[in-house]
Amino acid sequence: MNAASPLALLDDAGLRIGNTVIIRRAKLALTAGEKVGLLGPNGSGKTTVLRMLATLLPPTDGSGTVMGARLGTDAVYTVRSRIVMVGHLPALYPELTLAENTRFVARLSGRAPAVADEALTMVGLAGASQRRAAQSSKGMLRRAELARALILEPDLLLLDEAHAGLDAEAIGLVDALANRVVARGGAAVLVSHEPDRLVVDRSVRVVDGVLEAA
Amino acid sequence: MSFWRQVFEITRKDLLVESRTAEVVTMTAPFGAAALILIPLAIGTDAPLLSDLGPGLYWIVVLLFGMLVILRKSAVDGQPQRDLVRLLGIDPAARFAGAAIATSALIFTFELVLIPVLIVLYNPDFGSWPWLMLILPLVAIGMGLLGTIAGGVTTGLGTRVSLTPLLVVPLSLPLLLGATQALESLRLGRSILPWLVLLMAVDLALAVTGVLAARPLEEAVT
Amino acid sequence: MTALRRHWLETVAAVAVALSLFRSMTVAADVTQGDVQRIMYVHVPSAWLAFLAFAVTVVGSVGWLRTRDRRWDRLAASSAEIGVVFTGLAILAGMIWARPVWGQFWTWEPRLVTTALLFFIYLGYLALRRAVIDPEQRARRSAIMGIVAFIQIPIVYESVNWWRSLHQTSSRNSIDTPLRVTLLLGVVAFTFVYAALLQRRLELARLEEELEIRHLDSSPEVAGAGITAPALSTGEPR
Repeated sequence: MNAASPLALLDDAGLRIGNTVIIRRAKLALTAGEKVGLLGPNGSGKTTVLRMLATLLPPTDGSGTVMGARLGTDAVYTVRSRIVMVGHLPALYPELTLAENTRFVARLSGRAPAVADEALTMVGLAGASQRRAAQSSKGMLRRAELARALILEPDLLLLDEAHAGLDAEAIGLVDALANRVVARGGAAVLVSHEPDRLVVDRSVRVVDGVLEAA
Repeated sequence: MSFWRQVFEITRKDLLVESRTAEVVTMTAPFGAAALILIPLAIGTDAPLLSDLGPGLYWIVVLLFGMLVILRKSAVDGQPQRDLVRLLGIDPAARFAGAAIATSALIFTFELVLIPVLIVLYNPDFGSWPWLMLILPLVAIGMGLLGTIAGGVTTGLGTRVSLTPLLVVPLSLPLLLGATQALESLRLGRSILPWLVLLMAVDLALAVTGVLAARPLEEAVT
Repeated sequence: MTALRRHWLETVAAVAVALSLFRSMTVAADVTQGDVQRIMYVHVPSAWLAFLAFAVTVVGSVGWLRTRDRRWDRLAASSAEIGVVFTGLAILAGMIWARPVWGQFWTWEPRLVTTALLFFIYLGYLALRRAVIDPEQRARRSAIMGIVAFIQIPIVYESVNWWRSLHQTSSRNSIDTPLRVTLLLGVVAFTFVYAALLQRRLELARLEEELEIRHLDSSPEVAGAGITAPALSTGEPR
């Protein structure tokens, strides 16, 4: 990966939904091998920035590229599988067990179900894998989602509310995962309300709908 | 990963989720059966009348109560789940096909469960049995496709439970006519072919439309 | 003079409707049905317009999907609003016509059934539009639903036609030539009315959007701006 060209770039990207401006202007250059903290008060648009970086929300103003794919074009389809986003609501099917949920992810990415089981073990959920997601605690669900990052080995890791619901052990898990991604030449963006817990290379703030990279 | 493999995994997941609640088999089907019992109490229990009307009433129940199958809880994906599938790089057309196949399978199951109820209560004259095994799946596929398209268009809307039936039911008229007229033709010894062709034409039109609309629709539902 | 120029379409429409009305009232009454048959000159053009308006909606839908230009979406929405009214009118006129002639409000013939179904399709389309807040999503979802419905309409019509040919023996009255001319006049008049209404509705939609954009530019409130520091806290910084 070329160290000069950024892994992800937001160039005065903005997002409007109808008449509501969510993001006025976002400037961010994410280079390979860095961990960035994304801070800001409630409702400032951090999750929206994250979803833009995940290529799920094309900007309505300005532009951006993620791993070479221009946001809002069909090119994003080629890079999506290299991105893992863990949002603040769990992307798990409540009626399925943690094991079934994780194996679903493994299967859909063309990997053997055993990879999923191994990932669950690595996040410390081996004993709870047969529990239905609906009956699991928030911390367990978060760990199961982090297992997804282990299975998919992304080049871009996006974590919303990175430390929410996790105990000290699990927070170490978040850092370990981010380090893995970064060591492979990828990048990680961690949104958090607890800046002192963030172990990142630099932090950027979203204020009043504006993100100016530090 | 191949397209059909993706379709298979999506279908499998949908059916697995449904199997946990068994909503269609344990709740919707009994509801449909209850309806079939109530109807004669409302229109009269005269045996020849019921035998005549039976198939038509059965198809109406399939059409209208099929909406409940389309709207079942296990078919509702929240935004995190939708994001997940998108980020896994699943082809939107595969997601559509997988969901449509799962819904069609469940509607087919619903149809099958109600057949004995129809026979017992209404004693209809089917003419020729084996053809039923062709008509039932054709209708189920049509409903499944139509329901998945409408469900995709109403994703995340608060009023989707009321809106989706309004979108589906008028457009399912050809399925209703095809099914009822096919059975009628069998009974009267006429050719069933035109009606089978109608059902297949509807299914084909819906399948093509659904696949083509899958990608724009996925991007619309952010 | 400029006022006339601006409203030329409405003027032509008004004139055409007047002519059509005059002709409908003065042309020879139908031999079998009598004067009540004249309502056909409202029913048939309305039905024609119902389908034309939906075709325009679909054109707008396709146009939007290809270009993402909001004008196409405005066209689709405006045409649907006008179309649903004409569909209702067609059904109402059909009912008024059917009752004295055939003794019942409803005849199950293919065109009427398809028109009724089109009414529900419109209702669904407009309900869908109302339910979606984001204009981009609204445009896309309704465009797709419009196209799906449009593809099904010929199939619906044909299937009812087949069904009907097996079950019904009564046939429609054949239309004599002088009546046909009157009918054509009605169709033309109604088409002008549609065009005039569409033009006005499009203009209104354009102005509405312009107002929204201006409002947006002047008060660039960010969604999160309403959130401030709470008044209640322990006072300890984290």
